[in-house]
Amino acid sequence: MNYTLRIAGKDIPVTCEVTEGTRIRARVGQTDLEADFRVISAHQIHLEVDGKGMNVFLADDPAGKLVNVGGTTWLVQDADALAQAGPRRKGPKDLPQEVTPPMPSVVVRILAAQGERVEKGRPVVVVSAMKMETTLSAPFPGIVTRINCAEGDKVMPGQILVDIERDEGPQDQPEQA
Amino acid sequence: MFDKILIANRGEIAVRIMATCREMGIRTVAVYSDADRDALHVLEADQAVHLGPSEPSQSYLDMDRIVAAAKQTGAQAVHPGYGFLAENALFAERCAQEGLVFIGPSPHAIRDLGDKTVARRTMQGSGVPVIPGMMETEGDASKLAREADRIGFPVLIKASSGGGGKGMRVVRSPADLHDACAAASREAQAAFGNGAIYLEKYIEKPRHVEFQVLADAHGNVVHLLERECSIQRRHQKIIEETPSPALSPGTREAMGNAAIAAARASRYTNAGTVEFLLDEQGAFYFLEVNTRLQVEHPVTEMVTGIDLVRQQIEIASGMPLSITQADVAARGHAIECRIYAEDPLSGFLPSPGRISFAREPRGPGIRVDSGIYSGFTVPVEYDPILAKLIAHAGSRTACIERMVRALHDYVILGVLTPIPFLIDVVMSEAFGSGDTFTDFIDTRFAGWQPRTTDAELVGLAYVIDALAGRRPAGGAMHSDMEAGSPWKTLGNFRP
Repeated sequence: MNYTLRIAGKDIPVTCEVTEGTRIRARVGQTDLEADFRVISAHQIHLEVDGKGMNVFLADDPAGKLVNVGGTTWLVQDADALAQAGPRRKGPKDLPQEVTPPMPSVVVRILAAQGERVEKGRPVVVVSAMKMETTLSAPFPGIVTRINCAEGDKVMPGQILVDIERDEGPQDQPEQA
Repeated sequence: MFDKILIANRGEIAVRIMATCREMGIRTVAVYSDADRDALHVLEADQAVHLGPSEPSQSYLDMDRIVAAAKQTGAQAVHPGYGFLAENALFAERCAQEGLVFIGPSPHAIRDLGDKTVARRTMQGSGVPVIPGMMETEGDASKLAREADRIGFPVLIKASSGGGGKGMRVVRSPADLHDACAAASREAQAAFGNGAIYLEKYIEKPRHVEFQVLADAHGNVVHLLERECSIQRRHQKIIEETPSPALSPGTREAMGNAAIAAARASRYTNAGTVEFLLDEQGAFYFLEVNTRLQVEHPVTEMVTGIDLVRQQIEIASGMPLSITQADVAARGHAIECRIYAEDPLSGFLPSPGRISFAREPRGPGIRVDSGIYSGFTVPVEYDPILAKLIAHAGSRTACIERMVRALHDYVILGVLTPIPFLIDVVMSEAFGSGDTFTDFIDTRFAGWQPRTTDAELVGLAYVIDALAGRRPAGGAMHSDMEAGSPWKTLGNFRP
């Protein structure tokens, strides 16, 4: 079997072959590994690598698979599947071009009104997640064309809370069309 | 003694309070909001009353609804936990008016100690050392400037009703004072509805050391030694321990006596915490009294063997303290790590969501106070604390080793947690040598990155899981049942 896995932002080729039912031989990146494994539950695999036993815990996540080894949890994605799905939508880590919360939150205050002109950086919505408030600002100058949320609404990353029609002009052009 | 207690809180602290109630044969009433219908504290209680919408003001902060829930269920006492209404004098007063026992200090003590300048005056009059500075709030800019000159720069601006770092500013030069005072006052007004500020001397590189006290209604006061809480991020504690590696026996005794004096000066009853700053020369200063059970109370319980919630309930029921100062002794060392739903890689931003799998560490000297389970959705409306991991061992070194082991064994999948960060902090040389100051995280762990040494094993585990292919899509029910079975989760402890 061949995979390309995205682990901690790096694409790592993996080839593997199961021998004798519970023994696996794999090449992960540049490393050759051999392990005995036992599937303990839907969320637990026991591994023995070079005489060292360890428990690994897994769960499915909308973005991939969560894998916990030695106290650290990693998000692992199938890079081939990601490539097939086409270029990823802009995430919250990218330069914000939209008014969207960085994490699931509740809308605390709306600071802009429909039809209002806003400058770049002007606070437009305050959201709160777990008692921590975050102010979302206008990513560029323009006119507020629509408010898509109300105070008290639960909102998710990617959800556009305020539509702003960008001022026409040479400044502040986005990197993409 | 009470037959039934209502716990006006949620999450791990509500669950922890219920555990002691059950041990004492007291029935428990949980309260919950829309977001918490399936929360662990609801599942653990004998009875549960729905308060209302998830919004705290319409549920856990709504005094009318909480009092009504107590009446409706016949609870005789209310335990407020920490946060929410725990330090609200009006709520304590309201309980008394309604014939309910508030498990905590009197409304009078809560009010006096909740105002920092009143508390400073009370303490100064009783021989408790306070940080040099103003004893009254001041709104006039020129008077503030004169006070700052008298105290000497750097000064710290504080809000009289402040907390959690809000309304606080360090000012190092006279030119910055005016703007900083205005900003601090605005911030305090927004956060607490009270913009009153005052100035005190800024203590450079302090440690945060607090003393647990217990006081009954018969005039008996004891202290249960200290907790060192210097490891903080954004003015919130994340690691606490006892004993403090910084205290000599002489300083410990002096601070313990000052804590008792502070409790007596404010005519305190029930469990409370006297916070001090310890400067680099070993001098200590009164900071404030927290009039509630603290988040970090378990480290004290581990080393003293005293159940603080049981003491609170006994004191509230009118019983005299069953322990004297001579009974209080620390055995070994205890450390607590707070497990929040947050991302240590992006400035500890909150990370709410569904926990698809959770597995707690166990073994000798390990305690987990938790409010979560596999399948629980962590709400966005409340504090991000999920659980607290406490390790207890014979020495500080052994306790650090035990904590590191337990953190490695703590698995929470579905929300982000600072567990890998905590492992690196607890394993660090600086923590090991007890070099813990309130700027510890900012100076030593800014820009922290997780180690990537296990990436190959992670890849290997992924492909085994893919080959086994036995986890059905959307198989939440299935996996939750699996997660709860000790035959599965005990895998690690098989010989």
